[in-house]
Amino acid sequence: MDFEFSEDELRFRESVREFCKRYIEPKWVEIDERGRIPVDLIKKMGEQGLLAIPVSEEYGGMGGTITMAAIAAEEIGYHDPSVATAVYVLLNNGWPFLMEKYSGEEAKQEILPKVAKGDAFYGIASTESHGGSDVAGIKTTAVKKNSTWILNGEKTYISGIREIQELPEGGGYFLVAKTGKPEYGHRNITAFNLIVKWNGKVKAGWKPTIFEEIGRRGISTGSFTLEDFEVEDKYRIGEENKGFYYLMEGFNVARILVAAATIGSGRWALDQAVEWIRNRRLFEGRSIASFQGVSFKFSELYSELEAARLLTYRAAWLADKIYVEKDSRWRERDLNVPVALCKLKAPEATSKIYEELMKWYGAYAYTKDCNAFRGWLGTFSYTIGAEGAQNIMRLIIARDIIGSEYVKG
Amino acid sequence: MKILTLIKLTVDVSQLKYEKDGSPLVEIAPNKMGDSDKCAVEEAIRLKERYGASVTVLTVGATRDHERIIRDAYAMGVDEGYIIEVEEYQKLQATTIGDIVKAFVEKTGPYDLILLGAGSLDTHSYTLGSIISSKIGIPIISSVDSLSYNGSIVKAESVMEDGVYVFQAPPPLVITLTTEANEPRIPTLKTILKSKKMEVKKLRLEELGVKPRYVTIEDVRKYFVERKKIIIDAGEDLEKAVETIYSILKMEGLVK
Repeated sequence: MDFEFSEDELRFRESVREFCKRYIEPKWVEIDERGRIPVDLIKKMGEQGLLAIPVSEEYGGMGGTITMAAIAAEEIGYHDPSVATAVYVLLNNGWPFLMEKYSGEEAKQEILPKVAKGDAFYGIASTESHGGSDVAGIKTTAVKKNSTWILNGEKTYISGIREIQELPEGGGYFLVAKTGKPEYGHRNITAFNLIVKWNGKVKAGWKPTIFEEIGRRGISTGSFTLEDFEVEDKYRIGEENKGFYYLMEGFNVARILVAAATIGSGRWALDQAVEWIRNRRLFEGRSIASFQGVSFKFSELYSELEAARLLTYRAAWLADKIYVEKDSRWRERDLNVPVALCKLKAPEATSKIYEELMKWYGAYAYTKDCNAFRGWLGTFSYTIGAEGAQNIMRLIIARDIIGSEYVKG
Repeated sequence: MKILTLIKLTVDVSQLKYEKDGSPLVEIAPNKMGDSDKCAVEEAIRLKERYGASVTVLTVGATRDHERIIRDAYAMGVDEGYIIEVEEYQKLQATTIGDIVKAFVEKTGPYDLILLGAGSLDTHSYTLGSIISSKIGIPIISSVDSLSYNGSIVKAESVMEDGVYVFQAPPPLVITLTTEANEPRIPTLKTILKSKKMEVKKLRLEELGVKPRYVTIEDVRKYFVERKKIIIDAGEDLEKAVETIYSILKMEGLVK
């Protein structure tokens, strides 16, 4: 057993840290305050090779691994603890990776290099207003007419709405829509590359709305409607009616990266905590770390974050075994539980750290002079539901370990 | 154009931890390529990109970290890298490094430019550039903050206490650079992975015919400023407190 990163991974982490210190750390508060990641920063991240890390070099990617993408998400989460920048990065690593696995050659050649360069955004559009956890119940439809699909419906709580509009090329989504009879449930869903703006032009039939969010404000969230939106068949992802399975695979990769991003933010919060509890003096000059009520709590939080970190990198390691090394000892679905474990643990651990950090800060934490709230609100979003609700993670684990015949969905 | 760049493995002093008595925990501190050496590598790569130069990088040492900094230089765009293997590299005197560079240049050169950091992060002798210049017998421009080259003449600016000095000279030259010279590029994952496959060449002192001279660093301690810990409580008599502060400052010679 080996708990060390490889030399390549360590050198990559060092380069990401250097990049973050130079370009992200000085801007993170402004990113959160103004509610946008500057386009030139997205472009710089593309030039630095932080987007499409696990995508093949022939499509403009870095030819790296899921572990490397997780390292990038963690470090960026540390240097922008609101996690907005990390969310941009993780979306544009996880979903392009799945897109490459199942899309046709022409779509890959056309889309992926622009995403890798930071000229276009590529995210996920599955949630609808009836509830994101019930993917099989989506209502957006895709009907094939000759070689074109006509899409109608609405997607909501979707990241990247503004970024697509502001980036020079535009971008789109890994989108799922119903393509068969409703009674087939999750077996009538097909995945598409839904490119809503390309070569700088917004396509007809896409009407976006941007929401005002309370946290990780640097990356936009919103909804869009599709009205007779046309998608050529060459942009279909994989086989018809297999979209649900591809989506679940994509979520597995994206959830590892979400966990990594929140861990980065949690690490930042713990570093602030150490500094504060060492130097904050009360009651005749005693450091507040000298009180066990503080130091023991700190130790608990530290152990929670370390546990989450180990779960996250174990899931990333397994994903690399399956997808990069093609190790036949594991199948794609073997990732389900390890991924659910890290996605369940990491945002919860990080949220708890922020809550305690803010209590240790006292009233100062309740002002905007203290930036802890930005990390708290940003990472809290992942305890609510983004990239999979926590109860869905519990369900995945329970059904696998206890047995699906006992635990009903 | 052939450029030789010298890099040193130094303790990352920003991550150095200390014992309670102030002695630094050098053994467990992370190592890295010196900051100003990295600027020298960046300058060499920029000249390569503009004038098609070939860039060789050289370091002295015998650890895996030495290989790593050569690979870091490869990831920035350097063409070939050498390690001169010396076990007790930390004790080597600057004049021996000068002998090594001279012998290396005779073996693999000549070079149009020899670039290096003005001073290392850890031992700060600031002498190596001058030693190399005198041993090889080519001019030096030192502590350069800004460098340009028009294809035949090097122009270098150095910001000194009394003003900005501008130097001009044709190659061959030794040039030492400060961290003001440029912002070194950050290797990408692609260049990091590519650098792993590049050969790191190794030579021993005997192959260069250099006999080493050593200097031992006996002790390194953290610099402590003894605080006076005088607390002046203004209480209700602010004027008296100000007078007290003034008299103390006067006693210390800080005010007249």
